[in-house]
Amino acid sequence: MNAIVQIPSTADAARRAAGLQPAISVNRLNKFYGGFHALRDIDFQVAQGEIVVLCGPSGSGKSSLIRCINHLERHDSGSIHVNGMELTRKASDVARVRRQLGMVFQSFNLFPHMTVLDNCTFALRRALRMPAAQAEALAREYLAKVNVANQADKYPAGLSGGQQQRVAIARALCLKPSIMLFDEPTSALDPESVGSVLRIMEELAATGITMVCVTHEMGFARRVAHRCVFMENGAIVEDAHSAEFFRNPRSDRLKGFLAQVL
Amino acid sequence: MHYDPILAWQSMPDLLAGTATTFAVLLPVLVLGLMLALPIALARLETGPRAKAAAGYIAFFRGVPSLVLLYLVYSGLPQLSIVRDTFLWTFFSNAYFCAWVGLTLTHSGYMAEIIRGGLAAVPTGVIEASTALGLTPRQTLFRLRLPMAARYVLKAYQNELLIMVKSTSAVSAITLVDLTAAANTVFDYTYDPFTPLVTAAAIYWCIVNLMRTGFTLADRKLNRHLART
Repeated sequence: MNAIVQIPSTADAARRAAGLQPAISVNRLNKFYGGFHALRDIDFQVAQGEIVVLCGPSGSGKSSLIRCINHLERHDSGSIHVNGMELTRKASDVARVRRQLGMVFQSFNLFPHMTVLDNCTFALRRALRMPAAQAEALAREYLAKVNVANQADKYPAGLSGGQQQRVAIARALCLKPSIMLFDEPTSALDPESVGSVLRIMEELAATGITMVCVTHEMGFARRVAHRCVFMENGAIVEDAHSAEFFRNPRSDRLKGFLAQVL
Repeated sequence: MHYDPILAWQSMPDLLAGTATTFAVLLPVLVLGLMLALPIALARLETGPRAKAAAGYIAFFRGVPSLVLLYLVYSGLPQLSIVRDTFLWTFFSNAYFCAWVGLTLTHSGYMAEIIRGGLAAVPTGVIEASTALGLTPRQTLFRLRLPMAARYVLKAYQNELLIMVKSTSAVSAITLVDLTAAANTVFDYTYDPFTPLVTAAAIYWCIVNLMRTGFTLADRKLNRHLART
């Protein structure tokens, strides 16, 4: 299996400029869906190169939190900084912040009418205006890293779930983000495919990229994450180093949750 | 009553001239209808007054018979002095122009609804993926949502197009001699209704099936990602 080696990226420059700045800094964040208070006064920091797992029961706000970070959801109050850049509602700020972030979704969300290769080159060509040949070379490189190089000319429907999710990871990595956000990347997969995706995520973690993963894979959290965050009812209940998180859960709610999922 | 091949052959120049008129009416209507339908469909997907206006437009022009619209545009509008006594008269005194306007309004109403349905069928997650990859809403619309919607609506568009081919015969009501009108004229002169009308029907059939073949080819190309491998 190919090891993922992080290529120097444009985002690296931002990271160096950011120095010791946290990769992500969320302060007193609130989010409502109509009358439903989805995120309550969230304070959440992620250091450069840190691997953080967000877990908790469904509806606890973990997905909302990472979707707010790349502005797929608009937050109602509080602030979000990514590599020191504030995420305001201005389109230029949103674009600048999204440039730092790669996102992987539960349902892959590949473009069904494009080949695997075109899925990966789409944003390179359209958003970054990269020449087609250069985009293709880059895409093939990342497809090889997630072990789907031989599927490049197929359409997503012809791939297994695990392969599709690995393509989605390659598609995000092509843009060389400094931070990867994963929103339950293995929840829609069969057990065998889960393994193939988690292995890629572990290799990716080893490259020093910053990662925030919403996942129910507690084995992955224990092995790979530096920190685990437990959320419930839109609030962060517990935030601890992963060894501590599993060994000495403080709150009864986390104890109950771990008893159920482990 | 029998089919007279000699009469069919003799009336062929008139019928083909009528066919040319049919296309002269149809093609601009298809282009203009599509161009008009797109912003209406987009407005229809918003919330607020623009969506209401678009919904009203669609409801109105899908509801009004196209023959009535043609009469209104050709005979009704010139009753207004702003049409009759200004430069507008240059346009509205022309039966082709009135046919284009009338049929475009009807066609755009149906097309807006077809396009809206196609855009609504594009999965939210796919749009979010494009957004997260850094494409602007405009790029996502033109590079992703519309190309995907076009694939979804191919069948519905084919239906609407084939119906439009035949609906153009309404323009004979405003003096244009299209294929149907040309056949009817032959009948008037020869008292043989069977031969010219069956011949005209055969020509319509050829047009429609050529278009159907085009759609089959387009479907094969655009939707090859759905083909079983």
